[in-house]
Amino acid sequence: MKTLAAALLLGGTLLAAEASRLKGELDAKGLAGAIAREKGRVVLVNFWATWCVPCREEFPDLVKLESAYRSRGLTVIGVSTDLRKDSAAVEKFLASNSPGFANYRKKSGGDDQDFIDAVDPHWGGELPYSVLYGRNGRKAEVLSGKQTYPELERKISRLLLPAPPLGTHH
Amino acid sequence: MKILASVLCLLALAAVPVSGESPAIGAAAPAFSLTAIDGKSFSLPDATKSNSLVVLMFISTQCPYSNAYNDRIRDLASAYSARGVQFVGINSNKTETVQDAVEHARKHGHTFTIVKDSGNKVADLYDARHTPEIFVVDKTGKLRYHGRIDENSDDATKVTSPDLKNALDALLGGQSVARAETKAFGCSIKRV
Repeated sequence: MKTLAAALLLGGTLLAAEASRLKGELDAKGLAGAIAREKGRVVLVNFWATWCVPCREEFPDLVKLESAYRSRGLTVIGVSTDLRKDSAAVEKFLASNSPGFANYRKKSGGDDQDFIDAVDPHWGGELPYSVLYGRNGRKAEVLSGKQTYPELERKISRLLLPAPPLGTHH
Repeated sequence: MKILASVLCLLALAAVPVSGESPAIGAAAPAFSLTAIDGKSFSLPDATKSNSLVVLMFISTQCPYSNAYNDRIRDLASAYSARGVQFVGINSNKTETVQDAVEHARKHGHTFTIVKDSGNKVADLYDARHTPEIFVVDKTGKLRYHGRIDENSDDATKVTSPDLKNALDALLGGQSVARAETKAFGCSIKRV
């Protein structure tokens, strides 16, 4: 039993340590794939950067939100738009915030406009920026700029509502 | 008197509803007047009448993305002023003071007009989202370009798409802008 508890603890620690590091690079196609793999769950994709003050201010709330709502069906995916040369700053930021969710860096190279337009044609490139996807995998809402914890909670709670049981349609 | 004029101007701006969308390319650029950080007044309608083009640049003293372009906007403003293009920096960030803007301009050799957009009224009129963000207005007051300076904030020597320069060259040559709307990452404008 003690061994199992230790293993679980170790697993949890490893998981947390893993999430505190960049998981890799993503282009728009890779991001779409990562979102699609979470179908059945509500997905919040947050675009951030270490140089972006409101992003840094918002990030701890996302960590808290994901931790509180993970078991109810929320997946958060973080995407850093920092340049590759700033990887050390990104890793340091993640280590200090210990997110329980995966964070990627937007793949370097190419034209940022292609990436921005693929995420959402109405996105102007401002950060932070979040996109919410419903359990059906469809885009539900975009959130421009820093959100407060109550705002985030209200928006995801609406999407997390369980689907009505069969036979309740009128 | 100047202060009174500025206040009246801002009150007039406040009465204009915020659309939530930037003016479309070819549409009238919203008029505004503000006091520049050197104390002189700036009026967009007056500037468009007396120049071939006016480049409105939402910039910041603190944003790394905006600051990456300090030398580039200084050089562009210098190179194009002889061709009748007026560059105007607009600081709409509530976290940056007039004194911050004055010191930043001095440090980076920005001699073009810079206005402080207190209460982000002009940013709202244009639905400017981040810094740096550019709007080019022609002599008739129409918006001709909206977007980024170029695609490479990281390295000016590796720019492959100098979008603002291309737009200015096209417009000064009497041509339409091939790519009139572009996007890039930037720092959100810190609004009141």
